[in-house]
Amino acid sequence: MASSSCWRCLLRPQTYASRPSAFLPSTGTTASPFLSRAVTPAIPFSTSSPYNAAKAPAKGGNISRVQAGPPRRGQKSLRIKKKSPVKATTRPPAPGERKAARKRIVLSNTNAVEVQGLKELSPETMVDAQNHGQVLGIPGPVVDQLRAVEAFKTTQAWKLFRQPSTLQTKQSLDLAQQVAKVTDGENGKRTFLRKILTGDKASGKSVLLLQAMAMAFLKGWVVISIPDAQELTIAHTAYSPLRNTEPKQYVQKAYMSELLSRTLRANQPVLNGLQLSQEHPGMPVPLQSNMTLARLAELGAKDADLAWPAFQALWTELSAAPANAPARPPVMLAIDNLAHVMRNSAYRDADFNLIHAHDLAIVNHFVKHLSGEKTLPQGGAIVAATSASNTPLTPTMTLALRQIEARAAGTPEKDLPQPSAWEPVDERVKQVFAARGGIDVHTLSKVSREEARGLLEYYAASGLLRAAVNDSLVAEKWILAGGGIVGELERGAVTMRV
Amino acid sequence: MVFILGVNFPEQRLVKKSLQSFYGIGPQISQRLMARFHIHPTAKVSELGSKQVTDITAELSSMTIENDLKRRLRDNIRRLRDMGAYRGKRHAMNLPVRGQNTRTQVSTARKLNRIERWA
Repeated sequence: MASSSCWRCLLRPQTYASRPSAFLPSTGTTASPFLSRAVTPAIPFSTSSPYNAAKAPAKGGNISRVQAGPPRRGQKSLRIKKKSPVKATTRPPAPGERKAARKRIVLSNTNAVEVQGLKELSPETMVDAQNHGQVLGIPGPVVDQLRAVEAFKTTQAWKLFRQPSTLQTKQSLDLAQQVAKVTDGENGKRTFLRKILTGDKASGKSVLLLQAMAMAFLKGWVVISIPDAQELTIAHTAYSPLRNTEPKQYVQKAYMSELLSRTLRANQPVLNGLQLSQEHPGMPVPLQSNMTLARLAELGAKDADLAWPAFQALWTELSAAPANAPARPPVMLAIDNLAHVMRNSAYRDADFNLIHAHDLAIVNHFVKHLSGEKTLPQGGAIVAATSASNTPLTPTMTLALRQIEARAAGTPEKDLPQPSAWEPVDERVKQVFAARGGIDVHTLSKVSREEARGLLEYYAASGLLRAAVNDSLVAEKWILAGGGIVGELERGAVTMRV
Repeated sequence: MVFILGVNFPEQRLVKKSLQSFYGIGPQISQRLMARFHIHPTAKVSELGSKQVTDITAELSSMTIENDLKRRLRDNIRRLRDMGAYRGKRHAMNLPVRGQNTRTQVSTARKLNRIERWA
């Protein structure tokens, strides 16, 4: 049957089909009438191939809008593969492990030479003027007690020496004499000392506080210590309002229970020997009448809810004068980094106002004794140390301390340091220092050359200073330490030895 | 695990963080809420007393947070659209509402400005 199209037209690809001309030259891609089989191009050229290659229609879905071309908002052309995080092959530190390492106190170095003929701190040696400028070792049991009240700091170089030892400076000798005087009493009556230790950075404030506590332990006192006031005010421990207080006071249960635990560990022998002599209606649990004070402190240490009432009961007992029982020992309250409690704390009350540090119950307890508003009938001391390295600005306290010092130096009232008009005055802090007076501000001076020599000889005897201690070495080290700043002396001779 | 407003929080979670996980509670509100019930800023959920937990839950249930707050937000936008306000129209068109340019960078508006907003 004859076709309506010619052979040529049938064999041509579709592109040419519509073209009627039979005279177009044949190309390689077109079929020749002489070939038995038609040859079609493998990929027919078309500009719409990406369109056809677009994604297949979803099942049952319509394909009214087919995504084509780059996305409307552009596309990131450079794609760099992110590095996968490096997997740790070691065991991660357990909770609390890093903090424990950070706070670790090492008090003995077995590699250090044992100092021959080192005298130990004792009730006799601490007041002996012969020992001025000598280094005295702290006896083992006292070291344990000091450790319990956290008197040793990580920044101090105890770990280099065989045994914790301190230099008997003029100030420590004075302090020892005062501690001994309080213990012995005058005319059958004991006094209550109020001291603030202040001074330059690394001038030995915390170590003098440590020495004061060591002396108190040696004399059989009860020591209650806040090792760093910052812990109370930076709002890192739980707080709750105390009932029936005006202005509102806040108690820090967790801290109180820890404080009682520390106090108990440090003062166990003394507290074991004392028994209850008073009624304590404030305690939520009944107490045995012959309970020891150690047991009372333990109650508070174990149960945070009982901590504050237990502390109050303990204080009432310590300040009591029982008729037919052994006399209560003197009490030392020690607090380091005082400036932190002389300002607003980081805690907030229910109305979102900042709580003043003096409204925290335990701080209030210390401050009342510092100001002289409360005192202990059987005597004792409150010793507070300022810090020069981690300390907030407390213009009111700084001014008050300068004024007290100036008064002690005999400056007439009109020439006393005056408050700056540009600095805010904290009335509550002002009251503490202004109310009664009688606070002894102790500015730590630099050590003398004789004291420096004693310290350098101790370093040499410990094997940490490998040089002959003679006048020229003492002069060199003393002058390089800012003229006798004891912390710098230690750094220059021992800790940063090249 | 501690339940606060029907949500179970692990004991190690900070109270601050747990409160801020609710839609409508940010740093300010959580600080004030914690101060009201005397919870310190670094407290963990495990440290809360049962009374504090019930107090917080009671306080949270009286506040407009989570779905209530989302609904309020949607209603506000819908009201704008229904009254034919310019802002309502712009929301409906997924375009910036407050006079920003639209030549470039309107992806946030495209994402957020809707009548049936997710959040």
